[in-house]
Amino acid sequence: MRGHGWKWLLCTPALIVLLLAASGPLLIVAVYSFLSPGNMGGVVWEFSTEGWFRVFFRRDIFEPDLVEWNAAHLQVFWRSIWLSLQTTFICAVLGFPTAWFIATRPPHTRTIWLFLITIPFWTNLLIRTFAIQEMIRNNGTINTVLMQLGLIDSPIQMMFTEFAVLLGMAYVFLPLMVLPLYAAMEKMDFRLVEAGYDLYASRLNVLWHVILPQVKPGFIAGSILVFIPAIGAYVTPRLLGGGRTMMLGNLIALQFGQGRNWPLGAALAMLMLVVVVGALILYLRVVGGNDEARRG
Amino acid sequence: MVSQEIEIAGLNKSFGQGAAAFQALRDIDLTIASGEFFTLLGPSGCGKTTLLRIIAGFEQPSAGTLRINGRDVTGLGPNKRPVNTVFQSYALFPHMSLADNIGFGLKMQGKPRAEIRATVAEMLQLVRMEAMADRRPSEISGGQQQRVALARALAPRPRVLLLDEPLSALDLKLRKEMQSELKRLQSETGITFVFVTHDQEEALTMSDRIAVMSAGHILQLGAPQEIYNTPVNRFVADFIGDTNFLKLRVKAVEGGAAVLELPGGKTAQASLPEGMAPTTGALVTAVIRPEQAEAAAPGTGDLQATVESATFFGTDTHLHLTLADAQGFVLRRQNRPGQPAPAPQSRLGLALAPGALRVLKD
Repeated sequence: MRGHGWKWLLCTPALIVLLLAASGPLLIVAVYSFLSPGNMGGVVWEFSTEGWFRVFFRRDIFEPDLVEWNAAHLQVFWRSIWLSLQTTFICAVLGFPTAWFIATRPPHTRTIWLFLITIPFWTNLLIRTFAIQEMIRNNGTINTVLMQLGLIDSPIQMMFTEFAVLLGMAYVFLPLMVLPLYAAMEKMDFRLVEAGYDLYASRLNVLWHVILPQVKPGFIAGSILVFIPAIGAYVTPRLLGGGRTMMLGNLIALQFGQGRNWPLGAALAMLMLVVVVGALILYLRVVGGNDEARRG
Repeated sequence: MVSQEIEIAGLNKSFGQGAAAFQALRDIDLTIASGEFFTLLGPSGCGKTTLLRIIAGFEQPSAGTLRINGRDVTGLGPNKRPVNTVFQSYALFPHMSLADNIGFGLKMQGKPRAEIRATVAEMLQLVRMEAMADRRPSEISGGQQQRVALARALAPRPRVLLLDEPLSALDLKLRKEMQSELKRLQSETGITFVFVTHDQEEALTMSDRIAVMSAGHILQLGAPQEIYNTPVNRFVADFIGDTNFLKLRVKAVEGGAAVLELPGGKTAQASLPEGMAPTTGALVTAVIRPEQAEAAAPGTGDLQATVESATFFGTDTHLHLTLADAQGFVLRRQNRPGQPAPAPQSRLGLALAPGALRVLKD
């Protein structure tokens, strides 16, 4: 068709923004990871692999040739991945019944429920996180109520634990799971559920053999939308986890701040990108690839 | 001895509550014999699909009982009834191969793998889809999906197969093909079929018995011939086949028949429905099917008519006529070689077949 070849021009504004805001800075970070740190922060234009080296190893302060694994960094890596996986799982478990509830309402009330789901986005993340702090700190709402009811004698330590980080992240990212799940369920043909029941399937079997395969695209989209921002989360682990439950985002920020080691921070950031992309490819291969592979 | 497969007693179903409540089914009493091809026929919104869904277990009745093979299944879920459904939209599982679709019911019943494989192969053969076992539903045509949906519902050997307008999405030629296919499957399997349709022709050609429904009631229940030849009221007469309705005056009543005054002055005998005894001089509605009259030379026959138009239907031609008192009349005439359609405004006589004219309750 005439002019068809020019349709791609429509997305050039978005491409320009992406280029300037994402690809450009990414390139800078990639370059920085191979430079030397400046004394007061910043970088010195001098090629070095020390930034990448320090991601995994640490040198003895007095004898720089004495090298050992950087356990602290690896721990942060592992914690970030593990907490993000748990967050994704919690969001999926909580999000599925929520999305199901909304998708099975009459059409005109669904909009209201979806609207309610998005309300948390209206408030600043910082404010919401402080609100959670208020709930779970030692003399916060939960502990006060429990103690006045006489259920506990001393406050339960919830602040600055992995539990607090999980709670905060699950809360923040839940809508990102509910919305794609809802979208998948809304497209679902509910007569398939009836067909399942009709063919002697129990509730659990209908869920497993009929509903879950239908909403799988929603799960995949939701998991990606939750896992990726979770692994780079900064505000939530900072405010609820404190120094002891640091995540990747905090570690990177630390290098660009007090750590004054920009190349290390840049290398960590690049590594996170590699991990996320790798995880994504693996995930899509394992979960999403089945259909396509069988279809040939 | 014919056993009763489905017994429905005092069944009512309403949706919604209070002022917004809608009564979909009213006091349905119905028995369907084992091995019968039974059709629920009616216009959309008459309650036929609701009745089917209650038999399947997707809806629960507001009142009344439902027995299948003598067992009270009221309140049981669809997975606990020996009944399978062929859905209007087929509702094949898109993420499964055709073979997995067909085997699903057996798998859920916990049948051993070898048995499932054997039954699936048998079912694929029954619906002539052997070559496509590994395809997905999206990779086959609508007619083929229809066959797979049938095979999937038949595979667990249900006592009753429910079919919810299964042919409505197919084109005419394919529909005719599937009609005979369904009849073949039913006689081969001996399973009781309950078929829902709004297509009266489909109902007439396929059914052992038909229940004509309207506004939640069963208006008439009987064999196709009975429903076609002796409709109980105006609605049934109008819904099944084409009918000429004539407003005629009663000249005399003799036993079970009335002598009616025809336009043009002649008279004709018409049978009266049971319990109806019109007074002499009253206006009644009489019906006659378009094929139950014959064209005659002008001036002869029972009625005189003027041709308004002729519509060619291949096997026959419909002549739209006007009678002497301006009432309309459609005459169906079989086409024969060398027989031209009469010109508009030409006149002809009409000879009514004896016993064809019937008085109807309104």
